Amino acid sequence: MGRYSRIWTVYRKELIETLRDRRTLMAMVFVPIVLYPVLMLVLVQALSSEKGRQEQREYRVVVPTEAQKQWLEGVLANEDAEVAAWQQQLEALHGSDAVETANTREQLRTRLGSAQIKIAVADDPSHLWDLVRSGLFHAAVITREIDAQSDAARDGNRLVQILYSDTSPLSEVVSGQLNRILSNEAERQIRTRVESLAGSLDVLTPVITSNLSTTSPDRQFAKALALIVPFLLVTMTVTGAMYPAIDLTAGERERGTLETLAVSPVPTGQIVAGKFGVIVTIAMLTTTLNLASMTAVIHYGGIGDIIAAGNAATTDLDAAAAEEALLENPAQPGSMEWLQKDHLQRRQRLELEKAGKATFVAEAVPVVLLSMIPFAVLFGGVMLAVCSFARTFKEAQNYMMPVMMSAIVPAMVVSYMPTIELKGVLTVIPVANIVILMRELFLGNFEASTVALCLISTCFYAAAAVVTAARIYGNESVLFSDVGSYKTLLQRKFLRPAAAPSASFAILLLAVLFPINFYVQSSLGDPMAGWQGLAKPVVVTQLLLFAATPICLAWYMKLDLVNTFSLRMPKPTHLALAVLMGLSVVPVSQVIAKNVLALFGESASLSEFEFLATSMMSMPVVALLLIFAVLPGICEEFAFRGFLQSGLRSSMGAGRAALLVGLIFGLYHIQLIKIPTTGILGIFLALVCWRTGSLLPGIIIHICNNGLGTLAAWMSENQSDTRLLDLYGMVDTLDVPAAGITLRDAIFLTIFLAALTLIWITSKPEAEPQAASSTPLAAAQ
Amino acid sequence: MTETEPIVQAHELTKIFPTTEGDEKRAADGVSFNVRPGEIYGLLGPNGAGKTTTLRMIAGLLTPTSGHALLAGYDPRLDRETAKRQLGYLTASTGLYQRLTPRELLNYFGELIGMDRVARLRRIDELIEWLDMKAFSDLRCGGLSTGQKQRTNIARALMGDPPILIMDEPTLGLDVLTNRVVLDFIRAEGARGKAIILSTHYLDDAEVICNRFGLIHDGRIVGEGDLPTLREQTGKRRLSEIFLALCGESEHVLEGGEGVVR
Repeated sequence: MGRYSRIWTVYRKELIETLRDRRTLMAMVFVPIVLYPVLMLVLVQALSSEKGRQEQREYRVVVPTEAQKQWLEGVLANEDAEVAAWQQQLEALHGSDAVETANTREQLRTRLGSAQIKIAVADDPSHLWDLVRSGLFHAAVITREIDAQSDAARDGNRLVQILYSDTSPLSEVVSGQLNRILSNEAERQIRTRVESLAGSLDVLTPVITSNLSTTSPDRQFAKALALIVPFLLVTMTVTGAMYPAIDLTAGERERGTLETLAVSPVPTGQIVAGKFGVIVTIAMLTTTLNLASMTAVIHYGGIGDIIAAGNAATTDLDAAAAEEALLENPAQPGSMEWLQKDHLQRRQRLELEKAGKATFVAEAVPVVLLSMIPFAVLFGGVMLAVCSFARTFKEAQNYMMPVMMSAIVPAMVVSYMPTIELKGVLTVIPVANIVILMRELFLGNFEASTVALCLISTCFYAAAAVVTAARIYGNESVLFSDVGSYKTLLQRKFLRPAAAPSASFAILLLAVLFPINFYVQSSLGDPMAGWQGLAKPVVVTQLLLFAATPICLAWYMKLDLVNTFSLRMPKPTHLALAVLMGLSVVPVSQVIAKNVLALFGESASLSEFEFLATSMMSMPVVALLLIFAVLPGICEEFAFRGFLQSGLRSSMGAGRAALLVGLIFGLYHIQLIKIPTTGILGIFLALVCWRTGSLLPGIIIHICNNGLGTLAAWMSENQSDTRLLDLYGMVDTLDVPAAGITLRDAIFLTIFLAALTLIWITSKPEAEPQAASSTPLAAAQ
Repeated sequence: MTETEPIVQAHELTKIFPTTEGDEKRAADGVSFNVRPGEIYGLLGPNGAGKTTTLRMIAGLLTPTSGHALLAGYDPRLDRETAKRQLGYLTASTGLYQRLTPRELLNYFGELIGMDRVARLRRIDELIEWLDMKAFSDLRCGGLSTGQKQRTNIARALMGDPPILIMDEPTLGLDVLTNRVVLDFIRAEGARGKAIILSTHYLDDAEVICNRFGLIHDGRIVGEGDLPTLREQTGKRRLSEIFLALCGESEHVLEGGEGVVR
């Protein structure tokens, strides 16, 4: 028997058990197969009956005088006649089945004719306002012929006032219709006037445009579906996965079978893997059934016609006539006329080829299903992890709400933004990338590499979720409800002292601080308020987020403050070397920055000094250095080289921890172009902190980096003293400095690295004390 | 009794839980005992004495704060799979899969243990026969009576024919008849050479079927040995009197309060 055969055993058993559950079957089979088409059909019925009712409905319009009533009736009669003529013309042009006339036809049908608008004359014209306001009439129309004795051009013109009520939908409909009818009337009169002046109406159509889509009609239909279907499917998949995820974790715990599973000789990972497989399977089954049901409904239920009608191209009568003319006239190949004619014929062929709409859906189903797999995998994993945390069914259900929202909201957002492309960062953003991918697959445009990136990143997230689930699943405080509650995990008096935070907690804290930092920066920052406006968010984020939060947490969690924040006195030699590194750090970061810029070909200026140059240069130099050098130098070190680094060190070794600290530090500097520079500097700082065992040298280097550069810029700006600027070889312009390394840069770089090397050689990093998660009680006592 | 090597060794097992009241609770405090093959060891004590915690540590479900347990020489925290293969585990709270039949359930656990198909089928038939489960072996567990469920549960624990059985209140809430079946079964398994740790509140039953006893109170073993040893130690005859004497006495000594048992 293979090593992983237990996964299959667990999978099979859980699948059988899940499929025997009535509740799962309800969500999985009943909803899509029965309820869903019924709902769709009801919707279609409601829509069409509403339309029917609209056709039969009477709209009451009141006018002040008999003469005005006659005029309005005349307008309505003209409208009726035009609609009838237009309809005839259309049918003559295309035959009654032509697809592209559907929309025009639809428009004609929804037009109100004289049959529906009942016009009454008010007893007292002064009551018109109240008659509409009270809802007795849907609208009032008051017209006045302009007295045009003085101006022949305005002869016969009319002023029309329409009174309506915003709160009555019928009133809004009729006022909208009246507006359209009146503008049609205006157009008719224009035509008559032009005809009488110019002898022909052709002067009115100097340009006739007809639009031909090179996409076949069913692809256009796919476009409409591509906006709705991913959203629907995401919702359905999540709903399908939810119930088994709860039942297989929290449900099992609640019924006491988890204990029997825990004493069986099977690794937790294999149990979780089997369960995960079942969740994904059920989610995919639900999706498949939904998709099948949806296809059937679209095919047979008439929804397709409605979508197709809304999507079909409109054909203008003039354009249609021009096209007809084009098709009838023979033309020489090679001429422009021939080209246009060829396009028209191709378009017609496309329409003939794909007369049915459902064929495309049938083609798209497998592709869409395939793209749903990574999504199901991701959410299966996430739900499994979240539910593993819950002890009871109800608790798990509560946890599911935010998980479902995190799937549905991105899907909704993406549905509303049809122009978003699967590019750049989006390819790795969970959920969003899959939703967009699904749409792209639907439309048939995608690149293999992008798809691969999407799938790989999603699999990575899913794996992380499953691993988390496996870890939580075997946890004893989750296994037995009588072994202390979560309270004991959170209240300070129950916490055991530890040397450092756990790695996961340290990362979690920095992950939580990241968006807060972002929002504080953007909400408090006010460039209009001068330097104070720029200083305020820096002070707040530095003091509250980077200093106070980790320190308070470390106290609350009873962490060893000396160890967590490396609050030790460094050796004097290390201190001296750190000062040396501090003095040479500015050109070093310049070298990194300008070469990174050259590498990325970014045209925007990199330096913080550009930013400083604007309004900060007006700051008093002491405040400038305090706020932008000393404060970040201290606070950021506490958060990154203190809390984060000590947490990471305990689980992955100091070297890797330093790399990761640098990476996270870089990511915190939101501007993309700053990430490499701050990331590399962050690694240097982390190395220094690790080797010296103290936070202080890093603080010195950090303050120097921020402070000396700022000072150089300030001196040159305010006192025309460029000595410091020249010393570091900084350029006092906003231009991008040339890439490469100057001799001056090389000297400073050598000093910097030599000092670092000396620190490295002369230090002996101490043995790592144990982290929070694994402190044995015996050791604590 | 023949002196063989102990197959279960509990060595200074200590478990400390933080409590919601603020301080910590020593659910088990240096519990040590050995059980040899063929022995039925009665782990007895009032509610909250630490029996279940001790058994869970031995089964590897809880990590001891200090000390360790060995099952046939394997530490359940270090050699998880090998140690757990030695073990059948049954408590009053262990549940069954409601939507599987007893036969399917046994098959599932047989597969998890790693038994092949033929062995599984043979063992299932055997257990159904022994535990008289024929009448309900193909009904879903959700619809079984308490007694039927407990028989299924016992069958589950015995599926892999493990040399060690841990039974935490296996007769809780059972009628006289099923109680009888379960006890007979425990006795038979003991006679077949299994090491059994039995924790129960039914002292009369324990007196009849256990060879040796460990009396646990406030997380500590307050008396250990076979019935004659305990009688000698306390001067009492019945197990219930011995229990009262030991647990009541120690409570007296520790807390200075009245000796309440149960």
